[in-house]
Amino acid sequence: MSSGTIFYITTLIVYGGVDVVACLGLSLQFGTAGITNFGFIIYQAAGAYTAAVLSMPRDTANGGFQSYVLGLHLPFPIPWIGAAVAGGLLAVPAGLVVRRSLRPDFAGVSMLVTAVVLNTVVDNFVPLFNGAAGIALVPSPLSNVFNPQSLKWQWMYSGIAIFVCVLVFLGLRLITESPYGRSLRAMREDETAAKAIGKNTDGLRITILVVGGAIAGLSGGILVGFINLWAPSAWTYPETIVLIAALIVGGRGNNFGAILGALLVPLGFLEATRFIPPFGPPGLVPALEWIVTGTLILVFLWFRPQGVVPERRRRLSKRLPAAAGPSAPGSGVVGVSRGQ
Amino acid sequence: MAIYIASFGFGLVTASVLAISAIGFTMQFGITDVLNLSFGGVMITSAYIAYVVNSAGINIWIGLVAAGFAGAIISYLINRFVLTPFKRRNTSLVGMVIVTLALGLILENLVLAVAGPDNVSYTLNNGPTLSIGAFELTALQVGMIVLSLVLAGAIHALLTLTRLGKAMRATACNPGLARASGIRTERVISTTWLVTGALCGISGATFAINSASFGPTSADLFLVVIIAAVFVGGVGQPYGAMLGAVLLGIVTEVSAAIITPDYKEVIAFIILLVVMAVRPQGLIARARA
Repeated sequence: MSSGTIFYITTLIVYGGVDVVACLGLSLQFGTAGITNFGFIIYQAAGAYTAAVLSMPRDTANGGFQSYVLGLHLPFPIPWIGAAVAGGLLAVPAGLVVRRSLRPDFAGVSMLVTAVVLNTVVDNFVPLFNGAAGIALVPSPLSNVFNPQSLKWQWMYSGIAIFVCVLVFLGLRLITESPYGRSLRAMREDETAAKAIGKNTDGLRITILVVGGAIAGLSGGILVGFINLWAPSAWTYPETIVLIAALIVGGRGNNFGAILGALLVPLGFLEATRFIPPFGPPGLVPALEWIVTGTLILVFLWFRPQGVVPERRRRLSKRLPAAAGPSAPGSGVVGVSRGQ
Repeated sequence: MAIYIASFGFGLVTASVLAISAIGFTMQFGITDVLNLSFGGVMITSAYIAYVVNSAGINIWIGLVAAGFAGAIISYLINRFVLTPFKRRNTSLVGMVIVTLALGLILENLVLAVAGPDNVSYTLNNGPTLSIGAFELTALQVGMIVLSLVLAGAIHALLTLTRLGKAMRATACNPGLARASGIRTERVISTTWLVTGALCGISGATFAINSASFGPTSADLFLVVIIAAVFVGGVGQPYGAMLGAVLLGIVTEVSAAIITPDYKEVIAFIILLVVMAVRPQGLIARARA
């Protein structure tokens, strides 16, 4: 393989890893817990900005051509940890607001409006993250191990991206395949019923918003370390729609669907268009991409709302083969609901 | 001081643009129960239709009528061929919002694909300037304010004086009961999409007149202000939307003069947060039996 091909493949792996991590986070919120977060992309943005300003030197460096806060020049992996923390912290106010909201569509739209407004603020308030121009020259993590321009670094970074994907996947399995995950699905299906059996749905919701926000923040940290720049145009509100499209196509409520969706929509579909020779006036191909993304959502919601990988139906009888019969001892209501 | 008086004038113009769109948005939601996020996309598509008319050398007021027709037809088609089928399948509230979000994305990018990414502006005749001290408005701006008042009056008359308006209010209040009382709610909802779509289209063109120039995604940020006005006024309430529009229109323009115009939407958002914290049902709440 030529070095160009390797470079392309490793870049695809990193992008795919970022998309998979982000989709897993959104899937936890939207698919498993039924929280509509139309502003999901701001958590990725928060992570990316935090990782950037934690790893960069003071803004007086490089002749001070850009201005940003902090600039602590911290070594890897602290910026990534900071990214996850920032994403999680940003979700706290959202969690406090959403709990008061009654209708799920209002909650979703309030997140969308917040995302648009935050983008405007960062776009115009230059001292924070250099405004609309964005921040550039974000250091690549572990540049002391390999030269960031080298193929070895590319392989290393894609390896780290895959490692983070696996880690997030396993971590989320602990949540979704546990009684806690069952509480989340109960909240999604019928919040009143979940409350009636004693689930603290406000607590569940804010926890899931924070955990999903932290995962999104981490994905932003991985991305910014790779592309070395970040700007408001990278996280406009339609970027969330792409992730939602990925979940709708892949399948909501299960992690395999989220991974498949991330590989099919943001990565597969948008990468495939790279090989179409550019035609028409500038901006035509991206516009057509958005049109296809929107159409993909409508088509899937109409013809296959459960996605390519549907959520597995969970049956109690499979989990409790011995206690299936009504005469089995200890299979009363309490026994069944607690039995594992 | 002069600049604040002048900005109050701009505020009145923005408020009138905002009022037309907010009434349309809130009626759409109140009567059809769809939180239609493709509203911005329909607005900007209609504004481009007016641009095509205007570029042919035709007066912008005719372009405005064309935009109204375009908005009505697009909204009707969206409801007829996308929203109603999805609703019949019992798509969840959130599912419907995702559908409208996708529709808005498709519309905006259709405009982008056809018209290109460059901003355009209408050829306008501003007319003579009317001024009282530092307070000055062009004849065109006065025309927009009058148009907004006329449309608000027309909606008031529609809702209170006609059988259709009564049917709309009944459908908004309780669709099941309305149907049981012999109101053809499907037909009422279709008509609502025509009426509110026309408001949406007209507001798109007035928004474009009020902006120096506009592009395919210009309405995205304005939709935030519309949503703020609708929720500040009390969602589903046409009179609340008028009140919210006047409040937000004037406050955002005056704040633009005091701070900078960059944060208009942020100011609108802060007002929304404050109102939601103090009075979550909005300034004018629906009386529920």
